[in-house]
Amino acid sequence: MLTIENLHAGYGNSEVLHGVSLKVAAGTVVALIGANGAGKTTTMRAISGMIQPTQGRVLLNGIAVQGNTGAAIAQLGLAHSPEGRKVFGPLSVEDNLLLGAYSRLPALFGFRKHAAAELNRIYELFPRLHERKNQVAGTLSGGEQQMLSIGRALMAQPKVMLLDEPSMGLAPVLVQEVFKIIRQLKAAGITLLLVEQFARSALEVADYVYVMEHGKIVLEGLPSEMNKNERVLAAYLG
Amino acid sequence: MGFLAARLRAKFNMWKRFLLIRGTELLIFSLLAALPLLVNSSYALGLLTLLAIYAILLIGLDVSVGYLGQVNLGHAAFLALGAYAAALGVALFDLNLLTALLVSLLVGLILGALLAIPALRLEGPQFALATLSFSALTVITLNELEAWTGGAQGLQINRPPLFNWSLDAVNFYWLCLIFLGLVWVLMRNLLASNWGRAFEALRDSPIASDAMGVGVYHYKIAAFAIGAALGGLAGGLYAFNFQYLQPQSFTYELMVILLLGVVLGGRKNLWGALLGATLIVLLPNLLSNRFTFQMIAAAGLLLTIIAAQQSRPHKQPFQTYAPVLAMALMMAGSLLAENIEDWRKAVFALLLFAVVLGLPDGLIGFITRFLSQLFRIAPPALVAASPLDEVLQSKLTHGEILLKVSNLKCYFGGIKAVDDISFDVHSGHIHGLIGPNGSGKSTAINVISGLYRPTAGALLLHGKALPHGSLYQVARTGIARTFQNLQLFGELSALENVMLALKDTYRCPLPLLLLGFAKREEKRAQADAQALLALVGLTDYARTTAKNIPYGAQRFLEIARALARKPDLLILDEPAAGLAQPDVQRLIAMIKHIHGRGITIILIEHHMDVVSELCDVVTVLDGGKIIAQGTPDEVKRDPQVIEAYLGSAHVDH
Amino acid sequence: MDIAIIAQLTLSGALMGLVYTLIAYGFQLTYATSKSINFGQGELVMLSAFFSLTLIDLGLPFVVVVIGGLLFGTLLGLIVERTSVRLALEQKNEGWILLTVIFGLFSFSVAENIYGRDDRPFPTPISSDAINLFNISITPLEISVAIGVLAIMGLIELFKRRTLLGKAFAAVSADRDAAELMGISATRIIMLSYGLSGMVAAMAGILVAPITTVGPTMAAALILKAFAVAVVAGLNSGMGIVLIGLFLGALESLASFYIGSGWREAPGLILLILALALRPHGIFGSAVARKV
Repeated sequence: MLTIENLHAGYGNSEVLHGVSLKVAAGTVVALIGANGAGKTTTMRAISGMIQPTQGRVLLNGIAVQGNTGAAIAQLGLAHSPEGRKVFGPLSVEDNLLLGAYSRLPALFGFRKHAAAELNRIYELFPRLHERKNQVAGTLSGGEQQMLSIGRALMAQPKVMLLDEPSMGLAPVLVQEVFKIIRQLKAAGITLLLVEQFARSALEVADYVYVMEHGKIVLEGLPSEMNKNERVLAAYLG
Repeated sequence: MGFLAARLRAKFNMWKRFLLIRGTELLIFSLLAALPLLVNSSYALGLLTLLAIYAILLIGLDVSVGYLGQVNLGHAAFLALGAYAAALGVALFDLNLLTALLVSLLVGLILGALLAIPALRLEGPQFALATLSFSALTVITLNELEAWTGGAQGLQINRPPLFNWSLDAVNFYWLCLIFLGLVWVLMRNLLASNWGRAFEALRDSPIASDAMGVGVYHYKIAAFAIGAALGGLAGGLYAFNFQYLQPQSFTYELMVILLLGVVLGGRKNLWGALLGATLIVLLPNLLSNRFTFQMIAAAGLLLTIIAAQQSRPHKQPFQTYAPVLAMALMMAGSLLAENIEDWRKAVFALLLFAVVLGLPDGLIGFITRFLSQLFRIAPPALVAASPLDEVLQSKLTHGEILLKVSNLKCYFGGIKAVDDISFDVHSGHIHGLIGPNGSGKSTAINVISGLYRPTAGALLLHGKALPHGSLYQVARTGIARTFQNLQLFGELSALENVMLALKDTYRCPLPLLLLGFAKREEKRAQADAQALLALVGLTDYARTTAKNIPYGAQRFLEIARALARKPDLLILDEPAAGLAQPDVQRLIAMIKHIHGRGITIILIEHHMDVVSELCDVVTVLDGGKIIAQGTPDEVKRDPQVIEAYLGSAHVDH
Repeated sequence: MDIAIIAQLTLSGALMGLVYTLIAYGFQLTYATSKSINFGQGELVMLSAFFSLTLIDLGLPFVVVVIGGLLFGTLLGLIVERTSVRLALEQKNEGWILLTVIFGLFSFSVAENIYGRDDRPFPTPISSDAINLFNISITPLEISVAIGVLAIMGLIELFKRRTLLGKAFAAVSADRDAAELMGISATRIIMLSYGLSGMVAAMAGILVAPITTVGPTMAAALILKAFAVAVVAGLNSGMGIVLIGLFLGALESLASFYIGSGWREAPGLILLILALALRPHGIFGSAVARKV
């Protein structure tokens, strides 16, 4: 579903990714783990067009999308719940969700009707968001904002979803909650590329794992193989 | 033999450079001075006088537009205020010529500073609006204070004699030229000193300027006031040149013409200001003759086409073709329009548009590139590095508490980024600060270094309270820091980045500095900065502009720059982020070396191997709180730390 | 001081102040999406008024004139965005300040050469015969200005709050990157905001033209006060501009009566500089924290 070949990208004249390749098969959850600064988030940003890769290809369902703007890639069916959640603070929860489906909905009138079914599904998945649907998103707690960010990405009915550090800055209880949701998404058959600093939790939900270090994939395999791998532990605890 | 030849060549280069640059200055000024003797035309003399006055005016405008990088729409007002001040000084108080000009200068300086105090806290558009309003307000006031200014009727004045010597037009022109020469030399000295570097640094990164002890606010006000003072001086000369003033002369249109002069001539360059002044003095005359104007339009079109050809690969299509279109439009206009002077404003607009987009360095940038290729002027040789021990004296440390953080809190809205943390940093230690993303490390050091104001808590350095919420004041207490997202002065060279930050180096008082007596300390600063560059292994990049050096080297440059503060406490914010493995090894050696000189270090770092190798003590943050503290080995075994980094082993199903 | 005179001056001044509010609203529209404003907006007001006058000269019905004028203003707004703003925003610099100043100067020159430098009357079907209410006279023309201002601002606010495209405006202004991830093209939203801003400027031109007459300099003073309203209220202040517009309009009408007509523009400029000095983000605006 999503294939990345030899991706190079960076900021200004610093190259952060030195040729990253990975594959996400339809309906699977793939985890990308590694220490901070390894280039996980940059990989995500290069895939979704928030930064332009300098070399390499990004194939979404067989179509090369690298070099397009973020908006164009999103319209081709890629959703990205970014690091730091990035909800639209001044807008209500419901408006945030509706905007998630922006590319599918009529721009002026009748968009609510079109989105009703999807909206209800999201509210079923996240009852908390339903309770707070008229609340301004900036006033939600960190965990609620994370749910909103995931819900907003789901509204687009994406072919592939990128989920970047969903547990960042959350209290342990909420982290468990987030992973419960990821498991639900997996059960619903959503194709997911997950970046996570909590390696153990990520390994539990993933079908396949890539380990990054210094802008490169240094290791890949099934989670069961990774769990015991010395190098994985070393990447975190030195 | 080879050594001698090299020295001779260096000497030769130095002289060639000196002769070419100073020689050109001398030649141009002599030519300007001699012109009235060669051409006997009162019209030409009027243009020359205006040229000298406008050159002073534009040098002043260039300080805010070029060096500070702000769109200043208020410079015409300072010209007006200086002009009226001189005129009224003569009319009401019978001042002599030089005193009146001094009054003009001071009026510009003081009003400039007064306007700058509120206006320079503002960013781009707000600053432009503030200066625009000031300008409009000035014209209104001059119009309405009829009792003094004569209002819209205008004000007639007589040029007072210079020490009983009444000046005719030629003499007055020479006086203006002398003033231009003075301004030229003084500004050249100022801009070649640390002031010039500071002006440029402010624009690239105000945050880093403050953090390096270069007070953004003070320098900005000084810069703006100096520019305004030159505007005032030009105004005084303007008044005595025309001997008749009207508020309508100082409108928006003049402001745009002045901006055109600075931008077209070339920003951040005295020559650019002189060239720009020449052009805007000549422009009205060039418009009056259809044929000359057609030639100019054709030349402009040709120039933009050549520039477009050269720049096509690395510029946006719009940027490449829009100047050509603008010039083509001007060419078409020159063929069609009945009276070109009626279209004056459109011509200014098109020229300015083409220059801003197509020739951002102005004509002088174009010419300099051409000339330096022609004459192959080598840049001046750099002085040799000072011994490192003189720059960064080794200190003995005794392990006493250097920094005490007690009950520190920093909340943003409802988010508790730092939630009641306390820890001590002992002198001579490398103190690690680690934790997962969003755990509050960066916020903690941003509070310590003064970027953020703490919500509650106390910070003591050497037992004395640290100033809260001011990077600049904290920087002056002996704390220096680097930034996770690099905050280099991109337009300055690596060497200048370090020179700017040097502490206790620049002592020459401003008046002496203006007169050119700061050359020795400038040399000293260069030598000291070289020593620090050598320490981080960047000697080869000394002359390279910071934005053009490789990423890893930029990280090291930040460290060298922070060391120029000769700090007691050095805060390194993720210095290894994004570094390749060999660079990480160099970094570790570098930090060990710095530590060996007795500098206490707070190290924020994600790479555990780096932390383990370097740190004496590690504080672990999670969710804004401290979850563990101890030696690296103790911390690594702590179950809470393992969970914070790896996540809990068992998630409920 | 006569209460009736003060009331009269306050009312007519405040109604004029709504025009400043309307132009300031145009600044807010583009500032929200792109943190940029058009320094040549006054010329958009003036050019649209001239264009509408041309339509009147052609004998078209007034409704067509208004619609034509608004479309023309929208088009000008789009041109400003394309020629003077987009590149600078892409390069993340403030070149747009100078470029929009340049655009304004060019427009001014075109107007004074095509339409001449004289002021011309703007015929309107709305009567300017005064009606007396409690000793205060007010003309239907003045009332039409107030209605026109509130109507177009109300419509645009409805668009922004009730349609998905309008909500996309708020999304781009809240977080440009995140908006892109939703498939919202920030470039197109910014372009649209400039179009709307141009339309608003045109509306201001059409409303004010019958009162001030039409000439190249008709908007020169107007625009300074619109800047003042926008800055004093805050460029992201929402409806604070209505209050400030009314206040400034009344204030300057009183100042010009009691101090002298030449000082008419002064209160706005002084307020602007004071506001920048004391509350750079405006009375109703909110500050943004600086980040590293």
